Parts: sequence; C-alpha cells; structure tokens
Amino acid sequence: MTELLVKNACVIDPLQGINGEVMDIAILDGRIVEAVSDAAEVIDARGMLTMPGGVDSHTHICGTKVNFGRYMSPEDMRAGRTPRRGAMHATSGYSVPTTYGNSYRYSVMGYTTLLEGAMAPLEARHTHEEFTYTPLQDTMANTLFDGNWSILEAIRDGDTKRVAAIIAWTLKAVKGFGVKLTNPGGTEAWQWGKNVTCIRDPVPYFEVTPAEIIRSVVEANELLHLPHSVHLHCNNLGTPGNYTCTLGSFGLIPDLNPKRQTLYATHVQFHAYGGSGWKDFCSKSEPIANYVNMRPQLVIDMGQVMFGRTTTMTADGPMEFNLYRLHHDKWSNHDVELETGSGIIPVVYRRKNLVNSIMWAIGLELALLTKSPWQCLLTTDNPNGAPFVKYPEIAALLMSKRYRDAEFETIHPDTGSRVPLPAIERELDWYEIAVMTRAGGAKALGIQDLGKGHLAPGADADIAIYPLKIDEVDPSAEYQKVIDGLSRTEYTIKRGRIVARRGECLVHGSNATFWVAPKVSDDYDMGRDPDFIEKFDRYYTVRMRNYPVQEEYVNQSRCIVTEAEL
Amino acid sequence: MKVTLAMKPATKGFIPIEAESIVPKNFLSDTDLSVWRGNRELRLDEAFEISVEGDADRPEDVEVVLSGETSRLKRVGEYMDGGKITILGGIGMHCGNFMSGGTIEIQGNADGWLGREMSGGTIVCRGDVADYCASGYRGGRKGMKGGKVEVFGRAGDFLAENLAGGTVIVHGDAGDMAGAELRGGTLIVHGNCSRPAANMKEGSCYVYGTARGMIPTFRKIGTVRHEGRTLIQFAGDLANRGKGNLFVKDYEYLD
Repeated sequence: MTELLVKNACVIDPLQGINGEVMDIAILDGRIVEAVSDAAEVIDARGMLTMPGGVDSHTHICGTKVNFGRYMSPEDMRAGRTPRRGAMHATSGYSVPTTYGNSYRYSVMGYTTLLEGAMAPLEARHTHEEFTYTPLQDTMANTLFDGNWSILEAIRDGDTKRVAAIIAWTLKAVKGFGVKLTNPGGTEAWQWGKNVTCIRDPVPYFEVTPAEIIRSVVEANELLHLPHSVHLHCNNLGTPGNYTCTLGSFGLIPDLNPKRQTLYATHVQFHAYGGSGWKDFCSKSEPIANYVNMRPQLVIDMGQVMFGRTTTMTADGPMEFNLYRLHHDKWSNHDVELETGSGIIPVVYRRKNLVNSIMWAIGLELALLTKSPWQCLLTTDNPNGAPFVKYPEIAALLMSKRYRDAEFETIHPDTGSRVPLPAIERELDWYEIAVMTRAGGAKALGIQDLGKGHLAPGADADIAIYPLKIDEVDPSAEYQKVIDGLSRTEYTIKRGRIVARRGECLVHGSNATFWVAPKVSDDYDMGRDPDFIEKFDRYYTVRMRNYPVQEEYVNQSRCIVTEAEL
Repeated sequence: MKVTLAMKPATKGFIPIEAESIVPKNFLSDTDLSVWRGNRELRLDEAFEISVEGDADRPEDVEVVLSGETSRLKRVGEYMDGGKITILGGIGMHCGNFMSGGTIEIQGNADGWLGREMSGGTIVCRGDVADYCASGYRGGRKGMKGGKVEVFGRAGDFLAENLAGGTVIVHGDAGDMAGAELRGGTLIVHGNCSRPAANMKEGSCYVYGTARGMIPTFRKIGTVRHEGRTLIQFAGDLANRGKGNLFVKDYEYLD
C-alpha cells in the first residue's frame, strides 16, 4: 500500500468543474481517494498549477511508419541526444526520437496518456512493441480502416452491420482502441496510382464513395458502442480550396451519441485551406470554426504547424506523393496489403514561406474561433505539424495576443492579407488550456470513465504539477514564463508514482495499453465468416490464425469490453 | 609552437581511441586534455608521449605532429579552425570532421569519412583514403561546403558524396558512386571511377580516366578542352532535374 498526499495544489480540473481551487489530493495505490493516513508521503505543491496528466488525443509516436521515419532520416538522430542518466536511457532524435525520447519528453511536459493516431492493423505488433518501450505514458492505438477491402465490399452491399462486425473482429485481433479513417478511399485508390478529390469520387473497383465510407463507418462505430468516435483525417489534405471538402465531410455526420462527439476530425489545420492554387492560397478557418460551433457532434484538433524542421508521416500515401513532388527530397511510400498505405517525407516549415506562414496562422485561428475548447484540442499532429515539444509554445500563443503579434511580425509580410488572425483578440485562459490538453482529450477519447483526464476519487492518479502560480503570472504579457512552466513540470505523477521531477525522469515506469473488444453475437463473429476467411487465404501474406496480436505483446493490457448491438 | 604526440604502445592495440580533443587551439592553454579509449577516459599523457617546443598565442602558429600507431585514432582535428596537424603515419575514421580552417597533412592512409562536412581549410593525404572521403553525414542534405581535400593515392566509394562546395582532388582512382548527390563545388578524379556524379544537382565533376558504369540519365553535350585534356561534357543528372556538369575522358555504360 503506497500513499501519497499532494498538499496546497492549485487545481484546474475541467471535468469536475474545478478552476483554480487550492486543495489537497490524496492518492492510494495509484488511484485518487478522499483521504490517506498520516503515514503518506507528502508533496507540498505550494500553490503551483496542478492539472490531470496530459492526454494527447492525436500523435504519431509508435509503429512501423514512425520507425521508418527514423530509418530514413539518420540525420534527425543528431539532434536531441541525451546520455544515459539515472533511470533514463540514452535518447536521440528531434522530430522522430527514440521511443524513450518520446516518453521522457512527454513526461517532462506532464503528459501521461497518448493516442497513437494511426496503426495499420497488419503491422500492429510493431506498434505494441514500441508501446512497451514508451514506459511513462498509457497508450492506445487508432486502427486504420480507410481502405479495408472487406469493409469496402460490405459498404458497397449496404451492410452496415457487417462493417461493424469486421471492425469488431479487427479491433479485438490487433488490440486497437478506435477507428481511424485516413483519406477514406483515397489510400485505396492510390493502389491504382490514383486519389479521390473529395467525398463524391468513387473508389476504383469498389465503386463506393468516401461519403458512403464515412457514413457507414460512423454508424458502425456507434453500433459497437466504442468509447471513442470515428477519428477522421478528411480527404484532400493540404490542397488549396479543400475547406469545402472538409465542410462536406462534416455535413455527413448526424448527432448519434449523447456522451461524446460523433466524429473526431483530426489536424483540421491541414483541411482549412482556401484559394484555387498556391498563388491565392488563404485561410478558411472561419467557415470551419463556425460550422464546428454549430454542431456539438464534432470535435476537431488543431494540427498546428510550428516553424522548423520535422517529418511528415501519414497513411495518406497519395498526399505524401504530392508533397514529394513539391519538395523533391526523400520520400517513402508503403502499401499495407488489403488495408491501407503510408507515406513519409521530411519537411522544413519556414517563416519566410508564405504558405507555411498561413498554415501557422490557420491552426491558431481554429483554436481561437472555436468557441468551446472541448471542441478543439491542442495538437500538432506530432510530428507532422511540429514535434510535440512545441506544445508549450502553442499554449502560450493561444493565451497571449501580444505573443501572437510579436511572432506575426517575423513571418512572411503578405500573410496579413490572407488570414484573419491579426483581428482575433481572444486570449485563452488556464482553464481552457487545461480542457484542450487533458480534459477535452479524455472526454473525446471516451476514457474519462476509465479514470483519465480528471482528479475525482477513483481516477487514475495521473497528475502534472507545473512550477507556475496562476494568480501571479499574466500569460498575456509574460508568455515566456508560460512556455518555461509548461515545458518542465515540477512533478509528473503517473499512477501514483512520481515519474518526473524538474526535467528528470526518475523511474523506468510501467505503462498500460487500452484496447477495445466489442462483444458481438455469434452470427456476427467474422472469425467464422467464410468470405472473410477466404480473404485471408487468397490475398493476405499472413494466415488468419497468425494475424491476431497475442496478449503478451501488450504491456499491462487494459481491455475495454463493449456490448455491441449485433 | 610544435607539439609532438607519440602514441604509447598499447597492450590491446585494436581498441580505437576517440581523440576529438587533438585540435591545435586546444594546446594554446594549459587545460588538461583527454581522449577516450573504448569506455575509458584517458589523460592525453596516458596515451601519448608529449613534447612541446616553443610558444604560441594563436592557433595558426601551432603545429601538432602525431606519430606511432595513429591509424587507431578517430576524430582527430574535429572542428579545427586553424593551425596544422601533421600525421606521420595513417589516421583513423572521421579525421577533420567539420573543420573550418587550417591544414591537416596525412603521410599515410586515411580511413573513412576524412573531412566529412568540412567547410574550410585544407586536407592533404599522401596515401589512400577509404570510403566517404569529403562527404556528408548519413541522410544529411549537404556534405563538404568549402575548403580543399587532395588525395595522392586512391579513394574508396562514395567520394565527395553530397559535395556542396570546395574542391576535392584525387590523383589515383576512385571507387563506386564518386560524387553521388553532388550539389556544388568541384570534384576531380585523375584516375578511373564508376558511376560518377549519380543524381547530381549542381556543381562540376571531372574524371580524367574512364567513367565505368556511366549513369544513363546524363545528356551528352560535346567535347571541351580542359587544362590540356580533351573531355566529353555531359549535363545532368536529368533524373534529379540537375544542372550539373560532368566531364569524362572516356566512359562506358553498363552492358
């Protein structure tokens, strides 16, 4: 029995509606409780900002794609080198660091839960193995279903229940958490060397449209009662004028779930572009944010771009090919059999580049124009927009108009005529930042009932204590203090243990992986479906019995069983 | 000021010594220098017999002379910005990395990565050099950016890979992929080499011998006179939308 008492913490806990109240937090065996005995170890937080551990609702940190990013950019490993120290392993890398590098840097920023944004089902083992070596955060993986042949056929036949059954079988087999659609249909079209331009283009051979895919998978997701909604990377990423396509995709979504959103649209910055080409490229964050403001069934994340070097990686193969033609640098392309694909290229976002400057502004505008912070979460689509170590800077930009103006002076001079950012006065407060970085993420992922993203008794004791006094720091003027404070916690507590202190990680850690096993009736058990089995026999390079990820690959398995309507 | 470093014989002669502290400017002050042998840190005088003659105020006036089993030494002259290093024998990998000024003279052979990513200064090697001489880092975009490397023997593979500036001259033959990804500067190979200037973007590559396995994506322009030689000029690499110039005495395509 281990007890810990955090005294005099200035707590912001949006899921409980606590905003800046000084209180004590009692922890018993890794969970938050009402009170502990006098024998408990005591931490005096001295009025410092204390929030639930950070929840990153969309990041790419583990899996074949990330690893290939490391593999093709050995020069990235020259940055961010740290030697072995205490409990910490040596790390290296900046935009695609080693797994320990990711884990330590997230932990030092107070993050305790991470969602890997895209896991190809066939390559799930790799993701889970890397999860094991991301020891200081609980992890979960969105599973890619955008080009799954069996699902595309079921959609063509109009059989949503079969779509749900295939998702259920696959999630359970690969120990996945949520359903990810990346450029639905487009990645499959890429296997014919084509793409889809928007939601009404049919996918070659299957003759279903992205709109049909999105709609049926959203319905299937709700049939399965999954904790998270469908996680969508819209079609036509990164193309001037693509905001109409994004709005069209959003328009397909009914409000089906009273507890959470029905669609999580990720890195919307990359999908909020106006103009007919790069010459008249401009921001369309306003129509997107207005649309989101009117529809509680939508949650988006920023996908903020920050200037500097990074690596882009996505399952959206055709988009990465277009980027390659733009940059003419290294490029990797990968086809995942009957499921999806991927592409990777390294990029540099430059202040002197007009398009990059506009992209930078759009991400901030989305966060500032979306009225409810619960509907727009803080991400960079790490590492696509920027490595996650930039999160504190983004929070400071959102909290300070003065900081935004100072940065605006340094970017391309024509940006002002293309974006509404200079006219936006809004400055977010600590509570809103807490929503965007932890509570909102936990709610959107549907993991608040599992004790994430809040500090109520019974919750997992994941706590971040920042060396900031919120009544003494004026974020609007002292933005550097905000950046410094959010970059390095005084204490990061993970499941009741102090895992990081002032930039040092103290323990090896032991993370858990959340995954979902929907319970379906025997009629919908795809493991017995002859057509589904035949797909494996005829087309896959692995046998069906070798496909599921064994439990021993999952470190501290936390299985969520849902009762499906099948 | 002349600093002579004679390597002491080692019982385990196969363990390389990482000696990035051997740079002329480090001998101006009396600070204790150290080198690493495997995972052990050694004081400089544990690894070398040191003798110093004269005095100096500027790195330019310092000459370091290395003798003994120096081919075990790695990273000698890393980040060097002035002065001279003379190596009486051979030298190990990564000699003259990132150097920006001064001179390194190697009487023997040099191992891989000689003068990697250097931006100035001169390296002269009287013997042969191994692979990746005057090249870039793995995965990096720019190799050597300035200065001069002259090799009197032969060069290994990937000579001047990613060369972005400066001059590289090899008097013997070079190996495979000489001047791969060339994007500036000048590479001159007096002997033969294979697949020169593959995927070049800009810059010039001269092969005074035969270019074997000539890359087919170069466009032949005609013959030119160059320093008393008649060379065949090519433009390319077309596969990389390149605007580079490749001059060869003779060439043969792969069968």
